Amino acid sequence: MTSKKTKLPFGERVKREWNRNAIVYIFLIPVLIHFVVFQVYPFLLSFYLTFMDWKVIGDPEFVGLKHWQYFLTDKLAWKALWNTVMFSVYYILPTMALGLILALIINSGVKSARFFKGVFFLPVVTSFVIIAGIWGWLFRGTDAGLINYIISFVGIEPQLFLSNSSQALAVLAGLSIFKVGGSTMIYYFAGLQSIDKQLYEAARIDGASAMEIFWKVTFPLLRPIHFYVAITTTIGSFQIFDSAYLLTGGGPNYATTTIVYYLYEQGFTGLNLSYAAVLSYVLFAIILVISLIQRKYLGQESKHY
Amino acid sequence: MLKKVITYTALFILGFCFLLPFVIMILGSFKDVEFAQLDPLFWIPDEPTLKNYLYIMRDGLFVRWILNSVIITIIPVASQMIFCAVLGYIFAKKQFPGREAIFWTFMAVIMIPQQLLIIPKFIMFSDFGWINTYWALIVPELWGIMGVFLVRQFLQNIPNDLEEAAYIDGANDIQIFMKVILPLSVPVVATVGTFSFISNWNDLFQPLIYLTQEKMFPVTLGLASMLGKEGNFGIEMAGSTVSFIPTFLIFLFFQRYFTEGIQMSGLK
Repeated sequence: MTSKKTKLPFGERVKREWNRNAIVYIFLIPVLIHFVVFQVYPFLLSFYLTFMDWKVIGDPEFVGLKHWQYFLTDKLAWKALWNTVMFSVYYILPTMALGLILALIINSGVKSARFFKGVFFLPVVTSFVIIAGIWGWLFRGTDAGLINYIISFVGIEPQLFLSNSSQALAVLAGLSIFKVGGSTMIYYFAGLQSIDKQLYEAARIDGASAMEIFWKVTFPLLRPIHFYVAITTTIGSFQIFDSAYLLTGGGPNYATTTIVYYLYEQGFTGLNLSYAAVLSYVLFAIILVISLIQRKYLGQESKHY
Repeated sequence: MLKKVITYTALFILGFCFLLPFVIMILGSFKDVEFAQLDPLFWIPDEPTLKNYLYIMRDGLFVRWILNSVIITIIPVASQMIFCAVLGYIFAKKQFPGREAIFWTFMAVIMIPQQLLIIPKFIMFSDFGWINTYWALIVPELWGIMGVFLVRQFLQNIPNDLEEAAYIDGANDIQIFMKVILPLSVPVVATVGTFSFISNWNDLFQPLIYLTQEKMFPVTLGLASMLGKEGNFGIEMAGSTVSFIPTFLIFLFFQRYFTEGIQMSGLK
């Protein structure tokens, strides 16, 4: 830090501060303004909005807790929440398992590991629109769908997939698993690389089999990563929207109406922005709770080291 | 030996499954599909044709979508790289009142889902007259807290000696940033740039909310409108392939920065 409490004249002190910290003032001030305008203000405005009836034309009207009360009795909103929870069930563990398997393969010293790492990561950088487009054709609910064609070889009848209200959500989860597995792989790969090789050596000398080494050494040592990946995929699953919008439009029979899809429909198809704001605060509350659990747990975890 | 067989079998099966959708996309884009819709292997072209590509280029709308995507991607990418580099430096190395408070306020805001902010932003942008303009998609993305966080993490691990030496030589902080800090930060700034590119190029939700005029659409939204309308596999796949090329090239050249960035953002 600069030498403090010198009795330099004011002008000199300003000049010195400018020399040392000009960059702070030049960049931080516009960023703070931007932050207030595009993050803080909208956040507060949205909360205010939940107590108002917003209209396309004219001033909003104060309605108190009307929208919040409506949420409590809105069966569709609770169905959307339930669908989102079910999506998480289909999505979280398979994504973690796929990521771990991919990382184990890449880490096992196979040839062309770099190439395959790229292949597995490719869907992560590809737009949802592209993948959904292909996915929609793969899972066509007729004989002409490739997946139906493949399962016909093992004697399974053609399925309706996206048009079946009990299958559609799982097909969308499958799309997300395919899209996100590669980034989960990267976390697990980093975790695997940080494990001390001597631990494997020691276990092998003790006569442990490859399976035992995995379940008793590798898997428990990856615990911080399991936890981190579980949290991020959970948060991601509550924000799922793109695939439902692109492939099913929330249907059939609201089976794929997730919380964000319902929010979108209420707010931007129905122009009921105030109620959409209530839904967005519900989403925020859920994500906040998950994040706080993460903070608390990660705090404890780091004490062990 | 057995372990090796299992590993390689799994590798090839999974590799095949991950590549197949992309193979279907590219092969399908060369297929004249109208007469073959009932065949599950319809995406294999028997007589490759450029018909689908010519079709999407026919009226200039698709080209316009690509151009829109380029505009709403390139400007935020450039700005993010500059602002995140400088702010990461400020929060890692500079001393000023409120530094920690400001940084952790920024970090706390990450927990607010974008879907919450988009509703009030829609109202604000309607007032600003930003609906159906590039402004709504460019201005909010000019910097990002995640990028600042990445650069800060990176610079915190670099000792202060170089900076101190430069101060003693009489350099001011802007010179120090340009000549000492920036050259060191090239990899992490590249990471910020690649992340920003992918998230802006692929974004569907914000364009969907802020844009209603077809000619303003980025390619994601344009393609989404085609998926509903065309019902023609070959044309959809041609559109997908064209919009995939920029992300693929970025990925091909900057793959390292992606994976390193993901690791840095998650595991401190």
